[in-house]
Amino acid sequence: MDGKVIVVTSGKGGVGKTTITASLGAALAVQGKRVAIVDMDIGLRNLDVVMGLENRIVFNIVDIIKGKCKIKQAAIKDRRIDNLFLIPASQSDDKDVIKPENMVWLTNKLRKEFDITLLDCPAGIEQGFKNSIAAADEALVVCTPEVSAVRDADRIIGLLYAQSITPKLIVNRIIPKMVESGDMLSHEDVVEVLSIDLIGLIEMDDRVVVATNTGMPLILQEDSKAGMALQRIALRLDGHPDLPIENPMIQKSFWKKLGSKLSRKN
Amino acid sequence: MKFNTLLKKLMKKGDSKDVAKQRLKFALMTDKLEIKTDTLGNLQRDLVEVISRYFEIDKEAVNIDIQRSEESSALIFNTPILSANTRRGLPAA
Repeated sequence: MDGKVIVVTSGKGGVGKTTITASLGAALAVQGKRVAIVDMDIGLRNLDVVMGLENRIVFNIVDIIKGKCKIKQAAIKDRRIDNLFLIPASQSDDKDVIKPENMVWLTNKLRKEFDITLLDCPAGIEQGFKNSIAAADEALVVCTPEVSAVRDADRIIGLLYAQSITPKLIVNRIIPKMVESGDMLSHEDVVEVLSIDLIGLIEMDDRVVVATNTGMPLILQEDSKAGMALQRIALRLDGHPDLPIENPMIQKSFWKKLGSKLSRKN
Repeated sequence: MKFNTLLKKLMKKGDSKDVAKQRLKFALMTDKLEIKTDTLGNLQRDLVEVISRYFEIDKEAVNIDIQRSEESSALIFNTPILSANTRRGLPAA
């Protein structure tokens, strides 16, 4: 059976696409899938450093498409996780060297080799985005609870629908304390505005910076809330669509709990 | 909890997230109403062509615009009529 191709996209940059793609790929591979992650950001590659594989690049996606190498030569095997491979972007080429039809060709080959191919889409709605969605079966839209990110997500969702793809939403970098105090859009607000199905909620987590610093997969970081949320999203993508979505909550200490109970009575 | 919420309502002017949501909804609405620059130009050209079959109009003075308010948006087309062109049935030169 052919594998599926999932694009991770957002419109706005800096909302966590690359980290999410790398983590979902890692989680799916740990769950036993054969996974390829493709960096679609030609000219501005980053997935290699996030995955800690920057020293191992020999060939890249443009080399594959130009016929300079085979897919197997360009796909870098992860150091820590079996069955996880990265196809890096080219750093020197122009965005326009790849066309949507090239991506359809490439992903059709990847479907034969891998259970799941994740495409890390660049920010924006230009060539890189068009290439990424041309070949995708499914889409994950990443959005933070900010006006700018939600607006861009709305635009992206419209463009995905135009390609007959029904995307699912990941709300990233939720700060439960701010949601509770009414200073951050809740995921319910975001879902209401965008009116699409949710597939996961990820809380703001310092461990993400540590994971990126070291190139260690976030899902292998101990007690990373974001890592755990991403593992659950990976399960939802892979055979457990009904796994309940946990709402990030404030972890209150004993004294704070006591304090808030007392203040409630007064 | 109810007391807390009440207290908050009395103390605060409003949650900033409500402002965010309001602004978002408005932005998304206007985004969807936005029209490509050449669309209005093409529409103006077509409208002038059709109207010219019936009226002699001052093509230089024609004005087309979209006006938006909080609730709705309207297409405004404004043109001075020089004369009725009914007999000729052809656009004036």
